[in-house]
Amino acid sequence: MKAQHWIAAIALVTLAAPAFAQQASPAGRVKVVSGSAFIVRSGGTIRAEVGQSVFESDSLRTGEDGSIGVTLDDDTRLSLGPSSEVRLSTFRYAPAQSSVGLAMNFLRGIAVYVSGQIAKLAPDSVRLETPSAIVGVRGTTLAVQVVPE
Amino acid sequence: MTFARRVLVLVAAAAGLQLACGPVRSQTPQRKGQTTVVLLSESDGSVGRATVSNPSGSVELETARASTTVEQGEAPAQPKEMSEADVKRLFGAALAVQPPAPAHFTLYFEFDSDELTTESRKLLDDVQNAVKGYPSPQVTVIGHTDTRGAATANIGLGLRRANVVRMRLIEAGLDGSAINVTSHGEATLLVPTADDVPEPRNRRVEITVR
Repeated sequence: MKAQHWIAAIALVTLAAPAFAQQASPAGRVKVVSGSAFIVRSGGTIRAEVGQSVFESDSLRTGEDGSIGVTLDDDTRLSLGPSSEVRLSTFRYAPAQSSVGLAMNFLRGIAVYVSGQIAKLAPDSVRLETPSAIVGVRGTTLAVQVVPE
Repeated sequence: MTFARRVLVLVAAAAGLQLACGPVRSQTPQRKGQTTVVLLSESDGSVGRATVSNPSGSVELETARASTTVEQGEAPAQPKEMSEADVKRLFGAALAVQPPAPAHFTLYFEFDSDELTTESRKLLDDVQNAVKGYPSPQVTVIGHTDTRGAATANIGLGLRRANVVRMRLIEAGLDGSAINVTSHGEATLLVPTADDVPEPRNRRVEITVR
């Protein structure tokens, strides 16, 4: 009986750990939506609405009539035109702990990126990737187009 | 093919024509995964810098509307200037939904007090007005102190200062859940000083509205 309790307790802790990890603080917020726009989160697709939180590892995806604009907590802004997808692969913004980092994957379509505090504090920690190139920034507004694969 | 998709492809082909050196081809093929990167001016007119690279090579974008195109497995093309009209045609839909630029404010406080200076009290109105210009506004409030007094006490003082600003914003109609309050105490000085030095410019609250 006792052993079973222990196993149950360990199982609970093991189950709780990944659930706890998912309760990360938001990386930013949806500010503008037009037409069909979505957040892709752990395999599921959520219709995007103004005011929704965006988390690290989320992807932003738009339909053929959609566009979306988000502001991240370090002031970085990202907006997507129609038929576009960008993944926020890394977002770390704890300047008091000197821990910052930003990585985005531009998968397809068109997007405009405006750099924020992370690019100011640690420009080398910003990485914008497309299927054919990596973009490094120095306090920059950039427009990116990726032809769909 | 939907209208939106057709426009995108036409626009991209037009941009390809504009960028192509040598004889003009009527059909520039668009390769899968091909990337075009354009450096745009900041809202204040300045221009940043970007490096576009892959294992085959690297180019720098340093001037307004400098652009490069990268095919998979090939080095980035030499930068060319994209016309303003082409930027609008190609990226207009994404530019149209850019969120407003975040705004920053610094309010100052009296010595060892959570009372705003007279000038900063007026500035608080600007903050309240700015908030109204943002969709689903978020406000970050960070309290700071000078190095006079104990570091632990200054964490508390910074927090009291930040909370004064928070209360004033709530009084002005902002939802409290939209306001994030923290204190750095004397850890992040605006003007570096030795310990135990009173410095008015360090007695502040930094506000970001986004």
